[in-house]
Formats: sequence, C-alpha cells, structure tokens
Amino acid sequence: MDLQNQAAILESVRQYGKENLVVLLGAPNAESSAIAAETVVAGDPSYAGPLAGVQLDLPVFHILEDEVRRAIPHALYEAEVGIMDAVLDRDAIVASVETIRARTGKRR
Amino acid sequence: MAKFRVLHYLNQYFGQIGGEAEADARLQIRPGPVGPGTLLQAALGASAEVVATLVGGDNYVASDAERARAEVVELVRPWRPDVLVAGPAFASGRYGLACGTLCEALGKALGIPAVTAMHPENPGVELGRRHAYIVAAGTTARGMEEALGRMAGLAGKLLRGEPVTPAADAYIPRGILINEVVEAPAARRGVEMLLAKLGGDPYESEIPRPRWDRVPPPAPIKDPALATIALVSEGGIVLRGNPDRLESWGASKYLKYPTGASADLTPDAYECIHGGFDVSYACADPDRIVPLDAARSLERDGQIGRLFPFWFCTMGNNTTLDNARKFGAGIARELREGGADGVILTAT
Repeated sequence: MDLQNQAAILESVRQYGKENLVVLLGAPNAESSAIAAETVVAGDPSYAGPLAGVQLDLPVFHILEDEVRRAIPHALYEAEVGIMDAVLDRDAIVASVETIRARTGKRR
Repeated sequence: MAKFRVLHYLNQYFGQIGGEAEADARLQIRPGPVGPGTLLQAALGASAEVVATLVGGDNYVASDAERARAEVVELVRPWRPDVLVAGPAFASGRYGLACGTLCEALGKALGIPAVTAMHPENPGVELGRRHAYIVAAGTTARGMEEALGRMAGLAGKLLRGEPVTPAADAYIPRGILINEVVEAPAARRGVEMLLAKLGGDPYESEIPRPRWDRVPPPAPIKDPALATIALVSEGGIVLRGNPDRLESWGASKYLKYPTGASADLTPDAYECIHGGFDVSYACADPDRIVPLDAARSLERDGQIGRLFPFWFCTMGNNTTLDNARKFGAGIARELREGGADGVILTAT
C-alpha cells in the first residue's frame, strides 16, 4: 500500500477513531489484497510506510465479498463492480482477505 | 569493542521518498536506519549498527548504471561501512538491478562484502550474484521480516569472518569453487552415489546441475501444407570464408541468410566453422546441418506451404545461455514479423 494511502488511513483513525472505520479494498489480486489487508490489521509488512509497526486491527473487506455486495444497491453494484466480479479471481481474493481478517486482534 | 558499521540501500519507496512518481530520485544518504532499516537494525542486534541509509530511485540507478557507480562511492565512503546491505528487492526488476549494480560498485571500491535479497528469478540475480551474497526471497514485501532476518544473519557471519555456504545461509550460489580435502577418492564417492541412487536412497551430487528454462511447446501447426516454415540452426554454417565473422565457439551473434531460389547449400558457397566437432562431413554438404535441400523437396511435394525467405544460423558451441536467449528472442521476432508459422530447428 503506497505511503500516501497509509498516511491517510492513519489520519482517519486519529480523526474518527478506529471503531468508526471500516476498510474496503478493491485490489485486483489475492497477493495485493493480502498486503493491503495486513497493512490495516497488523501493520505495513514492507516497513516502508507510516503504518510500519502500527497494529490498527481495522475491520477489512474486499469489494467482491458477499457481505459487501449485499450492502450495496444491486443496480449500482452491477454498474460499478459487476464486470470485475467476472474477470478477477474472486475466490482467491476473498480467501486471502479472510485469512488476514482472522488474525485481527490476535497478533503480537 | 566498536560496533560494525552497516550501510543499508533502499529504493525510493522503501526509503520513504514516494512511489513510482519518485523513481527518478537521485542517490542520497540519510543518517541511521530508515523504514525497513529499523527491522534490519533489530535483527542485527547490538554488535552492528545501521549507520546510514542510501536511498535512490529505481529508474535513477537502473537506467544509468555507469552514473550510479560513479556517484555512489564518494557518497558512501565518508560513512566507512564494514558491510553493505541492499534491499530486499523481492521480484521488482529495476530494484533488483539497482541492488546488483550498487553491490558490485561499493564492494569493489570499498573492499567490503555486500548482502542483498531478491526473488531467484529477479534479473538482478544474474547481475549481482558474483559480487554479492543474494539471499533468496519471496515475490512481495510480505516477506520483509524473514528476508531481513536472513540478511542480518548472513551479514553478521561475514563481519565476524565466519564461513558461509549457500546451503546453510540460504543465498544463491555465487559460482565460486572452493577446494577442500575429502578422504574418499572420486571413484569411491561416485560408486557410493550410484549405489544410493539405484537403491532409492538420498544422495547429493557434487556438481549441482544448472537450472534450465521450461519452455512450453507451442500448439501444433494445423495444416503444414498451408504453413510458412523457416530453417534455424545453431550448427555454425556460414558463407564460405566466414565474412560475417561468426565465432566457432561462444557466439556473440546470429546470422541471417536469404533462402532465395537456392535448391540446396553447396560447399562452394557455404562451410561449417563449428569448433566442437569434426566438420568435414558438414563442409562436404552443409545441408547436413541446415537441411535446405530436404525442405525444398517438402515444399515441392506440397507437404509444407512455402519456405521462409531467410534462414538463420548461430553457434551453439559454448555459447552462454544469456546470449542464446537473446538470439532466440531476436530470431523469433524476425520470424514473427515475417509471417513464419513454424520453425525447423536443427542442432548438432
């Protein structure tokens, strides 16, 4: 996750508090989804950005997950996301985010 | 005891300058550890200190290696490092090339060991493995903690003058042979290996075999009678007198000759200059290496559509894999652009 996005997330946590935030990912593959999810849960694994060593434990989901799909009006989801659902490896992406999410609050 | 002095190299992203937009950032020094350098410092422990971090943009270093080599030595020298730790670069090609370039430049100029880490298929491996200890790492920064831990362990051993090996320290073999005395003679060791192999027991070769690319075969040609077929060979057939100066071993080029209207390759016009076998039969009839006569007869009988208007030849004898890859890619590009559907590759 790039340095600016990490800084923006850290600033949002300061401004609104962890309990008022949820992170929604749109990364196009399992590996980049896992990196982004790990960054907002356990800290930046690359140790390059402002979230290095910062364990935020934020709830994190991917736009392709069923819970997210159900929370968005059907027509809007189809128009904005629909085609990507068919193109991307949805199962692998969801599995990678679930794996990281399972670690929430359990690391370190 | 004074602490060992470690210099850490990072690209613009890990060095916290920014992403791709900052890839042209010049080489610069920051005192102390930066970003992943804090993790490196923790892994090094108390006996070594990351005294400074060298940061440079991927493009800045990888696109003009000469400039980077020229600049980096004077930039780093005042910090008097005992070891350079570069990266890890994971699967990032330009970062890997930058790590390889800087390891070579600083290692040679300052006489210090260099440790880096990257994925084994990173192009930086070929560039850097003779000059640096390259720890094998994964493809993404998720492997940061593990890679830095291994790099720190290896750097520590090198600083203390302890022996290291690719097997024990997880670095990519550097192609350096070290003599050692073994009690059992080679014949005995060979037979023991053979017995172990025949008995299905584990054994370890003393000569590691090179890793070859796996090239997936292309789909079969649907109808050869409609296809344009090219002849390509590594058998060293050249115009008589070798006016294009193809090497008889260790080729630096491939040659392209027009097929024209020739029915075959005659010994008055062509010869074989291969340096790896007795060429008298190939010189007597060069079609034995590049079978133009047989291909013409297939063309006449309608078994293939037509012959490509050029044939290509290089020298396989002791030619490096790197060069062979380049020749292959170059020939393939010409064939594709010329509309070839298939290739008959004859080798010696």
